[in-house]
Amino acid sequence: MVVQDPPALSVENVSRWYGNVVAVNDISFALGSGITGLLGPNGAGKSTLLHMLSGLLKPSKGEARVLGEPAWRNPAMYRRLGLVPEREAVYPFLTGLDFVRLSARLHGLPDEEAASMHALEQVELTDVKDRKTGGYSKGMKQRVKIAAAIVHKPSILLLDEPFNGADPRQRLRMIEMLKRMSEAGATIVFSSHILEEVERLADNVLVIVGGRLAASGNFHEIRRLMTDRPHALTLRSSDDRRIAAALIGQPSIFGVSIDDGSLTVRTSDLMAFAEIAPRVARDAGVTLFELLPTDESLESVFSYLVRR
Amino acid sequence: MIGFIFRLTLRQLIVRRSTLLLVGLALIPIVLAIVFRFGNSDEDPERWTARVLYLGLVVTAVLPLTALLLGTSVIGDEIEDGTAVYLLTKPLPRWQILAPKLAAAWVVTTALVLTSTVASGLIALDGAGGSIILGFSVAVVIGALAYSTVFVLLSVATNRALVVGLIYVFLWEGAITGIFHGTRYMSIRHYSLGIADWIAGTPARTFDAYVRGETALVLIVVVTVVGMLLANRKLEEVEVREPT
Repeated sequence: MVVQDPPALSVENVSRWYGNVVAVNDISFALGSGITGLLGPNGAGKSTLLHMLSGLLKPSKGEARVLGEPAWRNPAMYRRLGLVPEREAVYPFLTGLDFVRLSARLHGLPDEEAASMHALEQVELTDVKDRKTGGYSKGMKQRVKIAAAIVHKPSILLLDEPFNGADPRQRLRMIEMLKRMSEAGATIVFSSHILEEVERLADNVLVIVGGRLAASGNFHEIRRLMTDRPHALTLRSSDDRRIAAALIGQPSIFGVSIDDGSLTVRTSDLMAFAEIAPRVARDAGVTLFELLPTDESLESVFSYLVRR
Repeated sequence: MIGFIFRLTLRQLIVRRSTLLLVGLALIPIVLAIVFRFGNSDEDPERWTARVLYLGLVVTAVLPLTALLLGTSVIGDEIEDGTAVYLLTKPLPRWQILAPKLAAAWVVTTALVLTSTVASGLIALDGAGGSIILGFSVAVVIGALAYSTVFVLLSVATNRALVVGLIYVFLWEGAITGIFHGTRYMSIRHYSLGIADWIAGTPARTFDAYVRGETALVLIVVVTVVGMLLANRKLEEVEVREPT
């Protein structure tokens, strides 16, 4: 990611609270061109942050800036910025083409028809452009919202959970489209609570947990932190005590316990454990019935990052 | 641009189910006028039309309720359901969004209530009493603009616009102005009645407004202009967020 001066997007000590609830807590960062994933569990503050960056929410403290200018109360910045909101709501009585044309018209584009058709081609919706958006599937609504957001070719695109409702093929197409935009120099920020989505698309990641910036930087570095954390797995076998004794001597295992008849294994290297477990079981003459991760929720991964 | 948002808002209003409810509300004075006309009432038709039909029903209930439901929905509903984002994230000064939205609320309110006023008046007065119908028609058109402005303002100033509007219509205008007569100078209903009385020029025994016509016109212009300025300011500061 290249951070130009002024940065395409920046927030400085930004906080936002609703009454007594703090949604975003003292976050600072600056972003340049490239794709940035805003990763975090539901309710972490991702949407609030995106809304502050898009000028729809006023920070309670600090300032969000777009190309060096304040995002709040600055309608002129929308010439350079597009937003794809998370909410599904569209104007149900408009056709897909009318919906995108509405955006083109409000941006004052000289050839709104050509711009709208081009945007619809980008999201592969030209074949249903004359259908009312009220009859669109969730994935189609998501795509028509993207078309409306890119119709004026913004240099900054903010997307709130853009892959919700999209099938794998549509997801792939959207990823390709966003990568093309990024290669052309655009700054793209999208939020997601799904690690794999971020992994496939983002070069740069901001991890938000509980309204705070838990980690930021290169995705692979953060992924390594997530992978190398201690993992706990519950194991069910034909002889739990025997396999526990066999596993305890393995270098990647640092803890084995049997509580209430359930065997829990702790490992620092999930991949190594996956390789040795079947071999150890075979050598010990034990049959493995089930192997379940016990703390693989995204929340637990994020909590670990916060503790780091 | 303004015409485009105006037409978009008209379409939004027309496809809403609650607009059907408003058509039903506008039909009530017409039904009541038919009952009066073909019933055996000894009441003077002009006096009944001015006092019961127009003052008691159209200006007191049909006009403010229609303006309330439409005025609070043209922007308020869009903020509520999230579609406001598609207008607010455009490089437009906020007044270019506010003006067509307000105009749409006013036009639809006027179309519904004016039709109801003229039709019910013609039926009740059997085609006579042109000055009363004209007076109240002008009052409805001007009153609709003031009410629409105030209710659009409420919708961008509070997320309980409908409740606040109902309190204004029924508690303030319906009860308090009836007890403390001085408060009628702070009531759009009484401004509308003042204009109706001024234009109709009916004798006092038929209908008499508390606020004089010229004063009512000045006050209604002040309320409308100040309301628009405040609504524009509030729209500049309106926040849109994802539902929690």
